[in-house]
Amino acid sequence: MFINFKGAKTYVGTGGKNLETNKTTICFIHGSGQNHLSFVQQARYFAYKGYSVIVPDMPGHGFSDGNPCRSIKENAEWIYDLLKELKAKDIVFVGHSQGCLVGLELNKIYPELLKGIIFVAGSNTISVNQFLLDLASSNPKKAYKMMVTWGHGKDGAMSIASWPGHSYFGEGFNVMNMNIEDALKLDLEACNEYQDGEDASKKINIPALAVLAQYDQMTPLKSGKKFVDIINNCESHILDCGHFLQAERPKELNLIISSYLDKLENIEII
Amino acid sequence: MSDNYKFDTLSLHAGHIPDKETGSRAVPIYQTTSYVFKDTEEAAALYNMEVGGHLYSRISNPTVSALEQRIAALEGGTSAIACSSGMAAMHLVVTALCSSGDHIVASSKMYGANINLLQHTMPRFGVETDFVNPNDPEAIEKAIKPNTKMVFGEVIGNPGLDIMDVPVVAEICKKNRVPLVLDATFNTPFLMQPFNYGANIVIHSLTKWLGGHGIAIGGAIVNGGNFDWGDKEKFPTISGPHFALGGISFWEEFGPSALTAKIRAEGMYNFGPSLSPTNAFYLMQGIETLPLRMKKHMENTHEILTYLKDHEAVEWVKHPDLETHPDHEVAKKILPKGSGSIIVFGIKGGRKAGQIFIESVQLASHLANVGDAKTLLIHPGSTTHSHLSSEAMKEAGLTDDMIRLSVGLEDIDDIKKDFEKGFRAAKKLIK
Ligand SMILES: Cc1ncc(COP(=O)(O)O)c(C=O)c1O
Repeated sequence: MFINFKGAKTYVGTGGKNLETNKTTICFIHGSGQNHLSFVQQARYFAYKGYSVIVPDMPGHGFSDGNPCRSIKENAEWIYDLLKELKAKDIVFVGHSQGCLVGLELNKIYPELLKGIIFVAGSNTISVNQFLLDLASSNPKKAYKMMVTWGHGKDGAMSIASWPGHSYFGEGFNVMNMNIEDALKLDLEACNEYQDGEDASKKINIPALAVLAQYDQMTPLKSGKKFVDIINNCESHILDCGHFLQAERPKELNLIISSYLDKLENIEII
Repeated sequence: MSDNYKFDTLSLHAGHIPDKETGSRAVPIYQTTSYVFKDTEEAAALYNMEVGGHLYSRISNPTVSALEQRIAALEGGTSAIACSSGMAAMHLVVTALCSSGDHIVASSKMYGANINLLQHTMPRFGVETDFVNPNDPEAIEKAIKPNTKMVFGEVIGNPGLDIMDVPVVAEICKKNRVPLVLDATFNTPFLMQPFNYGANIVIHSLTKWLGGHGIAIGGAIVNGGNFDWGDKEKFPTISGPHFALGGISFWEEFGPSALTAKIRAEGMYNFGPSLSPTNAFYLMQGIETLPLRMKKHMENTHEILTYLKDHEAVEWVKHPDLETHPDHEVAKKILPKGSGSIIVFGIKGGRKAGQIFIESVQLASHLANVGDAKTLLIHPGSTTHSHLSSEAMKEAGLTDDMIRLSVGLEDIDDIKKDFEKGFRAAKKLIK
């Protein structure tokens, strides 16, 4: 759905169902240079399972107007305001890549807000190499191509996608190309500058889930594992794919998230 | 980390890696209509397009999907849908983009069935087409109306071999927010990839060079993912609520792949022009050697052009790689590897000579196809375009003496020898 939020046309995907925030709400936040479409195979799935689903396009991304946020903190504040605007309660946060940093920060600033937090192909620190930073600024389209190539496992290179007839490379590029040109550069800079990840990780006191990618070249598995180790209560899984895990292994990821959500509901009952 | 494989590699590998269970190197033929659901939840997820997967082979099939992914990779598109023929692909696109009251701007110089569909069939359903010269960008722009939902043409026209100046037309389409749909059958992605020049949707008859061996009919639609369907008034069935899936907005839910999702959910589901898995396998087998074949097709074509150009029995020769062709400069710009392996020529002695020539050659086959590995010939005036009036034929760039030649991969000396037989017989009879 399109809403007017902070004076800008803003898109919030709801997984093809009307938003009813009286239920558990899953909020999916995309990574650098991405938009709501990076959760195509999660949004509808969880909405049709009966959850309330919020998948926004961050400002300047996808269908949303406005200027991209300049820092991870600014991203977190924007999402907090959005969740309030939509009257979301019982929120489970799912972040991919940069979205994981945003989730960490959101939970740090507003420790009472979330009831669960899920990290997909993430870490608590994402340092971006200078080459990609420069390219994102000088030739964004080339940077999209490079990220899409780095971001997928070996299926991607062979144009094999879980969706019949689809190619990760062609699709990944065009999803990124929907954003305003500055979006990737500003996102990558925000990731690179974020230093509070370790502190924020230690502050997590809600059940956490991390699903990491074996062949992740954007947020390497080693860094993801280190991150998981310092979280208090974190279930973790590793899937055999690249960084765009939610596209490459949608069914596996959805089952892992479903079972985590079931456990989360049970904790409440007990 | 993924590698960015090059064209020749993708022709062989895209869409398939040996499966874990059997290690099968070739793409298995999944000769099945349907797929057992693990549980009701999985079934519902597939029906609701919550996740990707196969449900029923009218909509998708693993072998057909491998072919689709190979074509998507070769074209650089987001996705592809393979279907039962090139014409099925065309019909799927037209019905996906247009509803009653809509308008199409199309090239006047195209394959007969493409023209027929737009000129005669679609008006019965309230979709009107204005035909314009494909080499006249100004006329194309002028013909675009507020209700125009697609501009359509062939990169290399069949059989007139007019070359559309794709980047110029693409710019016009972009400015007017109308998708540019191109039939790229004659060029194949080996000679030219239309998305690199701004086209939005590509259609193929896989029957021709992509399949390449004259053994299976098939078609494909490739989605460039580079068109903004966000105008709900103009593209209500893509961005507005659609009857399928409880009022889905394909644009919001699938973005760059919106059109593909719509064609699967509506076109494949409701019309059902699916490709058989076995034919998908044959076509893929052909694509494995596409780069090799296209190189040889072009090599032989250029040899035959030299031979025909100076031949005493030949009245005229037309091919965009010849300097005399009116679109030669455009061809050089967008088809630097060559403008395809169709040559049209006029034989001295007109219609009768043409008929004798075609009936006297032995190696070249007289039939209604192009793009086979074997050399093929036809006389359009009495076959593919026989239903058109002489005026309409002229409009499509055709004459009575014209022979359409699809240059094959035989030894070039044998092709020439065969043609000599034909020319001699024609000459004798005319005398
Ligand atoms: C340019 C062109 N497009 C489309 C088609 C239709 O293809 P099919 O026979 O696979 O339906 C043809 C067939 O000759 C063609 O030449």
